[in-house]
Amino acid sequence: MNIIEVKNLSKTFKIKEKEKGIKGSIKSIVKPRYKTIKAVNDISFSVEKGEMLAFIGPNGAGKSTTIKMLTGILYPTSGEIMVNGINPAKQRKKLAYKIGTVFGQKEQLWTHLTPYDNFKFFGAIYDIQNNEIEDRIEELSKTFELESFINTPVRNLSLGQRIRCEMVAALIHKPEILFLDEPTIGLDPVVKKNIRKLIRKMNKELGTTIFLTSHDVGDIEKLCKRVIIVNKGKIIMDDTIKNLKSNKPLEDIITEIYQEATI
Amino acid sequence: MLMEVRNQIKVIFLSLKYNIMREMTNKITFLSNILFMILNNSSFIIQWVVLFSLKQEIGGYTMKEIILLWGIASGTFGLSKIVFSRAFELSELIMEGKLDTFLVQPKNVFLSAITSETKISAIGDLIYGYICLFVYGVTVKNFVLFTIFLIAGGIITAAFASIVNCASFWIVKGDFFADALSNIMIDFATYPGNIFKEGVKILFYTVIPVGLSNYLPVETIINFNLVNFVWIIGFTGIIVVVAFWVFYKGLKRYSSSNLMNSRI
Ligand SMILES: Nc1ncnc2c1ncn2[C@@H]1O[C@H](COP(=O)(O)OP(=O)(O)OP(=O)(O)O)[C@@H](O)[C@H]1O
Ligand SMILES: [Mg+2]
Repeated sequence: MNIIEVKNLSKTFKIKEKEKGIKGSIKSIVKPRYKTIKAVNDISFSVEKGEMLAFIGPNGAGKSTTIKMLTGILYPTSGEIMVNGINPAKQRKKLAYKIGTVFGQKEQLWTHLTPYDNFKFFGAIYDIQNNEIEDRIEELSKTFELESFINTPVRNLSLGQRIRCEMVAALIHKPEILFLDEPTIGLDPVVKKNIRKLIRKMNKELGTTIFLTSHDVGDIEKLCKRVIIVNKGKIIMDDTIKNLKSNKPLEDIITEIYQEATI
Repeated sequence: MLMEVRNQIKVIFLSLKYNIMREMTNKITFLSNILFMILNNSSFIIQWVVLFSLKQEIGGYTMKEIILLWGIASGTFGLSKIVFSRAFELSELIMEGKLDTFLVQPKNVFLSAITSETKISAIGDLIYGYICLFVYGVTVKNFVLFTIFLIAGGIITAAFASIVNCASFWIVKGDFFADALSNIMIDFATYPGNIFKEGVKILFYTVIPVGLSNYLPVETIINFNLVNFVWIIGFTGIIVVVAFWVFYKGLKRYSSSNLMNSRI
């Protein structure tokens, strides 16, 4: 069964161009010049329930833009999206109960609150009953080993501790699909390894579908069976990691593909 | 539907609770913030004392009515900044892609966003509002009317701020536009409505609705009039609907991290 279905999806951004200096400023007001960027350009793919998919590509390829459309943050310019049978642009709230998101470069937690208070707040956001949320927090903080700092304000935590908290917040409502946009960015190898272990465990035990973007080949290799490579808004490869692998390390193969694509 | 509204309100109150809790961790700063705002507002009264030593009345108001006017102005502003503080910063949230967090949550994006912070000094404004009411002369009727008008005025002020801040969905320098208009609304809140000419008055009862959030409530407490009362409540409903409509219209154009837009 396909849990994500994307057909001919595109997103263009319109950017106002401005030349240097005051003259340029005036010109941009009087006669604005626009540049359009096709961040995502007519892509189609599907993801099966329970799959762990790596969605990768060079900087600016359109990965984050795609995730943002799948999660209902951005309206697509054209094309169709179905996530868990829901159209994200039309039924954003309904979709929100079913998905979890972690953006490695953006925080969702309130930094002045403790992780515990944050989780309680997220519980209310997802309409989880009080007694149920306590159990859920206990269970997740055990799995993600948060016990020693669950009552420390988030702003005083290390990056690794914070990402673990972000993951717990994203999982509080037992989502069916987890979208991870560079979840391991800036983490040390030990923390990375731990995070990967937890993601794998979740996928195995709960059947959570994982949609992952990362520039870390380790994440891709250790977690995913299938990889989609995008470049300049287009899919340039959709295959299993097994097929991609040869005698060379995966890192080199991916680098080559990126280099070829940018020529 | 009812359940949904209840859950939304629960989240708003929880957010308010946590915001105030955060500020309370440092009790001295918390209290001095509030106290300072009360003193700050009181200092403006001195201006009026000086003015009234020169003239008997201004715009038909004596010192007593001016105090009530200040009470309403300070109270409505305070309430809007306690509950809807981020309505005044919505432009920044739009331009810097800070709506993302609220968009992946199963709650109303608009309400979640504008209630996600609290300005603590605004508690001082609210308290000052009630101090003014007590100085003006409090009766049960005055107290009830005053409270209703603070809620209505707080909502009108926040809804207006939201609408003008939504300009950032369409134009690059939306924040300047929004700040300019929000400031007009706040600056004119403490002047007697009657000193303005007809043309300006029409403006204040429509486009920049400080007349409905401040002037008319003052008149209605001084001299109760059911038509005015209904008009204030009705307008509150209308501007809330408009604010939601504009926000959701604009949201379709939201580009998450629009920051890059102005810098090429
Ligand atoms: N809000 C925006 N406004 C204008 N252009 C944008 C916006 N967001 C993204 N873009 C542009 O769209 C293209 C794709 O960006 P996107 O963030 O999706 O890339 P990415 O694959 O996630 O890259 P990275 O690996 O660096 O995170 C880029 O050229 C980027 O400059
Ligand atoms: Mg990205």
